[in-house]
Amino acid sequence: MKTQWYLAPALLIPAALSAPAYAVTYYSVAQAQQALFPQANAFVADALRLTPAQQAQIGKDAGTPQLTSEQPVWRAMSNGRQIGWFVEDEVIGKHELITYAVALDMNGAVQGVEILTYRESRGSEIRNSRWLAQFRGKHFGDPVTLGQDIANISGATYSCRHVAEGVKRILALYEAALK
Amino acid sequence: MTVVRARPHLGTLVEIGARGPGAAEAVDAAFTAVARIHRLMSVHEADSELSRVNRSAAALPVAVGDDSWVVLKAAQALAEESGGLFDISVGARLATLGLLPDHGAPPAPTLGDWRDLQLLPGRRVAFARPLYLDLGGIAKGYAVDIALQSLRDAGMTQAWVNAGGDLARFGTEQVTLQVRHPADPARLVPLLSWRIGAAATSAGYYAPQRNGVPQSPLIDPRTGRPQILDRSITVLAPTTLLADALTKIVALDPARATPLLSAHGARAFILEGRPDGDVAVFDSASACLPEEVSHV
Repeated sequence: MKTQWYLAPALLIPAALSAPAYAVTYYSVAQAQQALFPQANAFVADALRLTPAQQAQIGKDAGTPQLTSEQPVWRAMSNGRQIGWFVEDEVIGKHELITYAVALDMNGAVQGVEILTYRESRGSEIRNSRWLAQFRGKHFGDPVTLGQDIANISGATYSCRHVAEGVKRILALYEAALK
Repeated sequence: MTVVRARPHLGTLVEIGARGPGAAEAVDAAFTAVARIHRLMSVHEADSELSRVNRSAAALPVAVGDDSWVVLKAAQALAEESGGLFDISVGARLATLGLLPDHGAPPAPTLGDWRDLQLLPGRRVAFARPLYLDLGGIAKGYAVDIALQSLRDAGMTQAWVNAGGDLARFGTEQVTLQVRHPADPARLVPLLSWRIGAAATSAGYYAPQRNGVPQSPLIDPRTGRPQILDRSITVLAPTTLLADALTKIVALDPARATPLLSAHGARAFILEGRPDGDVAVFDSASACLPEEVSHV
């Protein structure tokens, strides 16, 4: 009798052939600024420092805590006039660390969201400060090493829930500190 | 020039890449297409076309646009071919389990199933009994197909779209299709080499958890209960829509799925993690061997 295909494996892929987690860079900050505000000709870094009261308010409004008192924010300028805000943010999930940028217009409406970097790892590694440290501080310079991209990976990628929550928090930050 | 971008859509991260003249604009347009499908077919948005159908189609027929019609037609055909193993009316069960929102949908549990979904002339949708349709098992694949088609139309020489593991590509380059290790999803397993086509994977490893218990969004229509997957299923098919839907049928009943796979020119792989880290691959193409050969 013929054995059904789902009962007998056709091949065995050895553990040694499986590759570890990867990182992808889509944009540097400067590239994302250009892409999200093509009409801008200058981006002025804003040294945004949140007061504890503002931090608490953002957490309350967004439903997720604003963990840092400093948030990288730029004013998008067109011929000396501000046309919007560029906010860089980072969210950490169970297996992934995502840096992304939100473009807001002068009324605080979202103009666009772009992923800058996506890094994936095992759960144990992701909250390890040394693992995180190798990526942090690189936001303002060149992209981190380009690893394998997501292009050819099939299989339930993590949900974008954390990015969605992050965008909500940036909107609360706008209300509390940029408006 | 190659352009690769990622944006949050369809409840996941969508990556789109393209090579060719005007690649940046083409990628932008492809994202716009994905966003449009999301707005039409998301049950998470109360004003989507699908939510409108769910609210009203039991009372009177609701006219829908071309995209929803194509997806509903395909879903009905697959429901019929699979004897109801693929059933987009499982939304009611998912809402009862708290996995889907319940905005103005008929009170769950409803008794209807796919046979109560009527696709009427004039692209109108009616429910013989109240239903809560969820296109979660098929719309993502359709969005990938639409986005890839827009990149083809834009004259790209190579392009791909990956929506959380539902992916399709075309081009000249031969690349390795990687699949997550079923027991260790942060590792990637090389499955095969391909150049053009569509693939989708269903797996339990990223199922949302509640009280530490995975909440599988894959409902077995025969029991109304979520099916927990400890193996992953990858299907290659002519379209991502088909690949996406067929993974669910293979997950629920590989024997029943086998004739559907051949009828649609699709091929399924079931991946099973072994304790030593190896991955056993079950391949539906091995079913094509004539019976006599296995005896020799």
